[in-house]
Amino acid sequence: MMRPLSIVSVLPELLGTNGDAANARVLAQRARWAGVDAEITPVRTAADLPEQIDLVVIGSGSDTELTAVRDILATMTERLRGWCTAGIPILAIGTGWELLSWGIELGDGTVVEGLGIVTGRAVPLAERATDDLILDSRFGRLVGFENHARDYVGAEASALGRVRSGTGNGPIPGGGTGVEGLVMGNLFGTHLHGPVLARNPVLADHLLRTALARAGVEYVPGDRAVAVDEIAKAGRNQIAARLGLTAE
Amino acid sequence: MRYAPAILVGRIVRVLARWRKPGGGSAVPGLVVNTIAPGFLARTLNGFPGGLVIVTGSSGKSTTTKMLVAALRAHGLGVFTNESTANISQGLTSALLEQASLAGRISGDVAVLEMDEGHGALISGSLKPRVVALTNVMVDQIDRFHDSEMVAAMLGKIASRATGTVVVNADDQYLVDLASRLEGAVAVSRYGVSSDVLAANPRGLGYSVTADHRLPSADGMLLTAVDGRDATVLVDGTSHAMGLPARGTHYAVDALTALCAAQAVLGERFDPVVSVAAISAIPPVFGRGEIVTVRGRKVEFVLVQNPASFQLNVDSLAAGTDQILVAIGSDVRDPSYFWPVDTSGLGRVLFASGSKAQEIALQLSYDDVIIDRIESDLGRALDEFLALPDPRIGLKTIIFSADSMRRTRAHLGLVSNMAGRE
Ligand SMILES: [Zn+2]
Repeated sequence: MMRPLSIVSVLPELLGTNGDAANARVLAQRARWAGVDAEITPVRTAADLPEQIDLVVIGSGSDTELTAVRDILATMTERLRGWCTAGIPILAIGTGWELLSWGIELGDGTVVEGLGIVTGRAVPLAERATDDLILDSRFGRLVGFENHARDYVGAEASALGRVRSGTGNGPIPGGGTGVEGLVMGNLFGTHLHGPVLARNPVLADHLLRTALARAGVEYVPGDRAVAVDEIAKAGRNQIAARLGLTAE
Repeated sequence: MRYAPAILVGRIVRVLARWRKPGGGSAVPGLVVNTIAPGFLARTLNGFPGGLVIVTGSSGKSTTTKMLVAALRAHGLGVFTNESTANISQGLTSALLEQASLAGRISGDVAVLEMDEGHGALISGSLKPRVVALTNVMVDQIDRFHDSEMVAAMLGKIASRATGTVVVNADDQYLVDLASRLEGAVAVSRYGVSSDVLAANPRGLGYSVTADHRLPSADGMLLTAVDGRDATVLVDGTSHAMGLPARGTHYAVDALTALCAAQAVLGERFDPVVSVAAISAIPPVFGRGEIVTVRGRKVEFVLVQNPASFQLNVDSLAAGTDQILVAIGSDVRDPSYFWPVDTSGLGRVLFASGSKAQEIALQLSYDDVIIDRIESDLGRALDEFLALPDPRIGLKTIIFSADSMRRTRAHLGLVSNMAGRE
């Protein structure tokens, strides 16, 4: 790969509430540790979008800015659709994910129309979900923190994983364990906020591997990544143990 | 004597609480009194001849409160204050019980209270403060307060109770907006930093939204320079040199807030020279950049309570400091919110510790900081860190969250703020 890996961080200030924008930094570092040069482009308007895009990170923001953020994202709708079709990996967290859906129902009954890029919509939860969130996914166990006021309905057929502890997309009618997140091609939506890719490098590496494969480059995690991932694993196990789950 | 029975019961409960758990139980007696005599708190606080002063905001309120109290006492005022950092209503009532007569009166000219923005909005309905001083709006406790608007609304609720003056930070856009809504109903005093001071902090001062324009010197008090623990303030056209209890622009802004609030409280009696001298004489606050000698080693303690203070502290460390211990404890429920902080300036950390050791180590690793050891057992990390010979560059530096600070203090036997002070 001659040019640096191009990572787009969408609205890093408006959509970076819990440190979500750090995921772009995590991807760039892991790429560098693998010997691949990487560049992060903060995108605040459609005009900031670079020519070449390999990876996209969209974080979560404050509810008071929902409409304003949606209006900015809406100017990139066709580009977002194009990236999805082309198989460019996209990570969308919290409200960033919700805004890509059909829409967001607010507690007062009003609806913020989404971009309609992914199926499903967000509906109010009885109580804000603020806790550790652990799920079993096809990548293995994913661990992180959730803090959201809405369920996500309509993603059941294509969830990221099954909830082991926490709320995820919300309680399911009739009881039983619910699911968390949404996967559509190479687009990943999740309530796991903050540095989810640092805590779960298996997901980071999946995104990197996919992005680099599109450019004909094979991704092999660097030595530094292997060492740092031991720290992440110890952190995940600590949370799992606290919640009565076995260690990985 | 309408509160005498409640006060007596409260005192008995306090004795029992202490007996069960020495040094503890500070909120329980207050809870009892608030249940028996719900008007006690408000009536007592509103009853000071010089009125009630409330200091609130996201960050800096406890330092500001201490500085304001020192400035007022230097002018000869008797001040009641909640020094125990018991800033919830039960804690406040317990603090009042310590000093109240059975008639529910407390000797003193004025009450100065540090109030948590959330609790303040809950209990401020019955309070009539003469002066309300607002420090800033930061999103520092994401679990509780989801966004800046919510914090600003809570501060607005407290400020709307003011009968005399609201003191606001003119660099914080949320407070500028809040003040403009109050204009006419109450006096507004403003303070702010000069453009030079702001320029010296390229990442800003941590406010949710920094105002575009700096305060003109004719419109309020200005902080015009900060150099280590020395600051310069401009009050009514005269510059004053001031000493700070710790390095950093945020302490200088706290001092400025205290000066501006002191002027609002004292009016004509306000003497900037007396106030500046009193603030300069405040000993360093434990855990906020204080240098202590422990086990024969000089150590600097740095408390980080939110992303903004974390960033400012990283940025203000002496370059090349080669013995750093970072400890993040269970008080940080979700360490995600520290990730916007760029920790790369630390360079190398000897120990990552505390119950969130892995999490902070992960963040440091992604910022290319070298970590020699991850040791979740804070006591062991402290012992080994202190046993190392003196550093080549800078001081032994311990950066910790509030919970790790408490554990550090307990482990090292630093029982009071005075222990081990230079
Ligand atoms: Zn929120």
